[in-house]
Amino acid sequence: MNTELHEKRIPIIKIGNFLIVSIQVDMHDKLAIQLQSQILEEIEKTGAKGVLIDISVLEMVDSFIGRMLSGMASMASIMDAAVVIVGMQPAVAITLVELGLEMPGVDTALNMEKGMEMLERRIKDEDYKLY
Amino acid sequence: MLQLTSDSTWEQLGKHPIETEHDIVNVRQFIRFYAKGLKMGIIDQTRITTAVSELLRNMYNYGGGGEVTIEKGIVDEKNTLIVTCVDQGPGIENLDLAMSDGYTSGNGMGFGLPGAKRLVDRFEIKSETNKGTIVRVMKWK
Amino acid sequence: MSETYNIEKVKERISHIEDILASVAAGDMDARVNSETEDDLSGIEAAIDLLIDDLTDELKQREKMQKEVEDKLIKIQEQQKTIFQQQADLMELSSPVSKVWDNTLILPVIGTLDSQRTQIMMENLLEKIVETGCTISILDITGVPTVDTQVANHLLKTVTSARLLGAECIISGISPAIAQTIVHLGIDLSSIRTKATLQDAMIYAMKQNKLSENVKLQTLFTNPDENED
Repeated sequence: MNTELHEKRIPIIKIGNFLIVSIQVDMHDKLAIQLQSQILEEIEKTGAKGVLIDISVLEMVDSFIGRMLSGMASMASIMDAAVVIVGMQPAVAITLVELGLEMPGVDTALNMEKGMEMLERRIKDEDYKLY
Repeated sequence: MLQLTSDSTWEQLGKHPIETEHDIVNVRQFIRFYAKGLKMGIIDQTRITTAVSELLRNMYNYGGGGEVTIEKGIVDEKNTLIVTCVDQGPGIENLDLAMSDGYTSGNGMGFGLPGAKRLVDRFEIKSETNKGTIVRVMKWK
Repeated sequence: MSETYNIEKVKERISHIEDILASVAAGDMDARVNSETEDDLSGIEAAIDLLIDDLTDELKQREKMQKEVEDKLIKIQEQQKTIFQQQADLMELSSPVSKVWDNTLILPVIGTLDSQRTQIMMENLLEKIVETGCTISILDITGVPTVDTQVANHLLKTVTSARLLGAECIISGISPAIAQTIVHLGIDLSSIRTKATLQDAMIYAMKQNKLSENVKLQTLFTNPDENED
């Protein structure tokens, strides 16, 4: 039980209407699942419409983490929030493709700036639909 | 316990038990470290690290934990990193099925194996029901 | 009396011949009998000297040739080293990625594509995409007549990897032969965007850029308060 207390929690920051999650550590499976729950809770708590998951520091994304990220996007969209994965490293992209994990339907952006633009566009589009 | 013989010319870099999730994270970092040491490019480093991560997950989730041996040596005249994962779990029931491509996404014993196989240069697997599984992967520079 | 004297001298001279032969056998190329007397034995002595001359000549020739061959070998090995280095450099240079205008990268490929070259190209392009932040890249293979299935797979991998990064990679200039190879691979073609010519690809890129510019402007102007963060 003590180990739970020492578990790192990945910080989630709110900026405007968005949540920013910066994954800086090599995650084991349990931590990844914990993060998924954390993010969904934050979405509910803050009513955020977009989540940017920054993986620019991650040197490896294996099938579990990859599926966690895909799952994250689906779950968040059900809660009316869009997810954008930001800053994937080339080596990670190539390896995911070779693993057979192409993550269709998951939005990605080269960097934070582009990720935010994408989310803003997404939200604007929604607004336009109303009019 | 199943065995795969090591060539006597190979140098052992490490032998690690896989008992906790933290062990998995640690071994991943060791693999990257050794791959860097063999002067592999970053993409290849990532490939072998990811492949081993898949194997370790299988071992931890379905094999009841086990042991990883990391070695380096010359294979086919190339500087090679050799990683051998042994567990004494239930074994893989249908090896052919587990190694077929339809099994990259899913949750179960042996899934993730075809993906790992694509990432490495050599892949050997032996599995016996109720005896365990042993997987050896190689990546060369 | 003169008989004994002659035998002693003869023994000496024979002994001398043996010494000279031994020296030559040991490697002394300059040893010669050099007889100064003119008699029956001197004929043999002279013949032996001539024999040694021929022998040492041959040996010297052979040594010379061996040295030449060794020198040539060293030269060839050095040239080989240079060639390997140049090949590596060529691989790097042969597929330069250029940023042509805002947000667009072009990678023109010329010549035969083998698996290794394609992989290097892929890595370079993806690195460049991340480095420059360009969301559109054009991989022009007009100069490539055919590819094998391995290379075709790598090309498609490049497109998919680019998408995962958050960028689009368009392939232009696909030859009929390559089109066949790609279709035979049975991949989901909706996932790759192709253009017949480099020009078409560039026009597409420009349109895309214009579009996103417009959307950016729209976003800025319709909800100015959103930008006060």
